[in-house]
Amino acid sequence: MDRRIAVVIPAYNEEKSIAGVIRGVRRLGTGYHVIVINDRSSDDTTRNAEAEGAVVIELPVNLGIGGAVQTGFKYAYSHGFDAAVQVDGDGQHPPDQIPLLVEPLFGEGVDMMVGSRFLGSDYKVSLMRGLGIRLISLFLRATTGMSVRDATSGFRAVNRGVMGFFAQTYPQDYPEPESLLLAFLKGFKVAEVPVRMSYRQYGISSITPFRAVYYMTKVLLAMFIDLFREV
Amino acid sequence: MLQIRLFVGVVSILFFIATFEFIRKGRLREEYAILWLSTSSIIAILSLWPGLLGILSEMTGLYYITAVLAIFFSFIIAVLMHYSITISRMKEANKELIQKCALLDLRVRDLEHGKGNEA
Repeated sequence: MDRRIAVVIPAYNEEKSIAGVIRGVRRLGTGYHVIVINDRSSDDTTRNAEAEGAVVIELPVNLGIGGAVQTGFKYAYSHGFDAAVQVDGDGQHPPDQIPLLVEPLFGEGVDMMVGSRFLGSDYKVSLMRGLGIRLISLFLRATTGMSVRDATSGFRAVNRGVMGFFAQTYPQDYPEPESLLLAFLKGFKVAEVPVRMSYRQYGISSITPFRAVYYMTKVLLAMFIDLFREV
Repeated sequence: MLQIRLFVGVVSILFFIATFEFIRKGRLREEYAILWLSTSSIIAILSLWPGLLGILSEMTGLYYITAVLAIFFSFIIAVLMHYSITISRMKEANKELIQKCALLDLRVRDLEHGKGNEA
């Protein structure tokens, strides 16, 4: 198989978990190349990732998840990768699930694949978060007819077309749901597949219940405006 | 009334001088300088020649202090809006530069380690 898949791992202070994730990706075979984007961590993320043989891009200034992931897409696009998978560096996304996301991009006419925690599993999230995710999903269905249960999932794969688009245009603050919408509006086919996810082992979620309301408002507003945008 | 006029006049002249100094030292770009120089000029002229305000209100029909306040607030809001747009544009440019910088940094490290010929 001479497909080259970029596994893009945005990492902010993930020194404890990053090596395990990279080792997991390596077990998938030779077609997968790990690209870690260190978003100005203050710990040993870079050293631990390089020790596992990953390519590490070090951002000189903290950009947040959107800017970090986009850097990965830019790298993967300019280095001729056929597809890119976004995987969290905290071990939430088991690398053995990656092929489930990648395979449909080749031959099934899907351009972007989202890994869903909720399809066919009983993954638990907090009440507020669950409500938020449901609201976003409802919004997407009502405005575009898209059916995505887990729009906030950061476990997703894109083909080269979407990669090039995201290298140019990618939302910055809470990019997951909005990027789905942008890809859809650009005319790409977005689909969802059930995956198994772990609960995070180290660190805390970047979305505390505290920020949930702000998050929801911002995401929904941004997506609403996107509907009127020329993408 | 005279004291207030004197005060406003002095402030506007100080404002004018400060703006001029900032441009001279290169700390304020010309595009903003025009805005602030004209603002301070208008305030200065109005405080030195209060009759002008009467002529203006005759011409425009703006007799009420609320109308003047509305104009004042619109001006402030427009300036703030302009700053928000400028900040957004700068953030985007900044992000692109940071990303480019990081990608070039990786390329330099690769070249130093003789891995430059890879894909």
